Amino acid sequence: MFIITCPFCGERDQSEFSAGGEAHIVRPKQPTELSDDEWADFLFMRKNIKGIQFERWNHAHGCRKWFNVVRDTSNDKIYAVYKMGEKPPSN
Amino acid sequence: MLNINYPKIEKKEFPNLELNLVEPIHKLNLRGKNRDFFTKAGKILSIMLPTESNTSATIKNISALWLSPDEWLIYGKDIDKNLMLSLDSEISKLNLGSVTDVSDQWVLINMKGKNVFEVLSKGSPFDFNKFKNTKNVVVQTLLNHVDVILHHNDTNNVDLFVRKSFSEHLWLWINDSSSFL
Repeated sequence: MFIITCPFCGERDQSEFSAGGEAHIVRPKQPTELSDDEWADFLFMRKNIKGIQFERWNHAHGCRKWFNVVRDTSNDKIYAVYKMGEKPPSN
Repeated sequence: MLNINYPKIEKKEFPNLELNLVEPIHKLNLRGKNRDFFTKAGKILSIMLPTESNTSATIKNISALWLSPDEWLIYGKDIDKNLMLSLDSEISKLNLGSVTDVSDQWVLINMKGKNVFEVLSKGSPFDFNKFKNTKNVVVQTLLNHVDVILHHNDTNNVDLFVRKSFSEHLWLWINDSSSFL
């Protein structure tokens, strides 16, 4: 269990949120031109890093907004939280 | 609308806690972002929709609760059919935002007394320490794993909104928890 700071509602318990997987995956501009392997790669393949990872989270039991989180998956320490559309922190 | 069968909830009293079903009462969900939406909604409801997170605004018998940056829950005894028609014709039909009647979706339970936050704390991951000392604040959280909206409208007086299908279950849980106070 850990605390996540929703950029809209403030500090809340993790049980109010749902994880949305890896962040910043860009949809290909021309999906029809991709091979099956490339399309499957976009759809299904995700990193599973032990360490700092950029993730999408949804405040499912609160404001229901999506946002991004920079989290260390090994110890659940959160380094940054930022809204959708905002640039990820560089450091 | 407002003629549905409400859950079998009767007024209950526990040590320093009183539970009551506040139904029927109109509830509206407003969604919108632009300036025209705020102007129209404010004019029709005579309330400035709160833009600060987790806050509410109340004038006479109408309250506007902040739910998210572009969403509010409006409820109160003064909401009638004419007001709903005005909102519909001046907001929904002009595509400034959306107005949805959620009166039958949510059930309103009022909890008041010194032990309100003792009971809520038993089943919620939310930290009520700041919340209980501040009036007119709102929180959407979980209570016994059920989604709820809590409006602290007066000292030790909380309006609790729960989805109708979960209301009887939550009511039984609140009663059970309150009996151990």
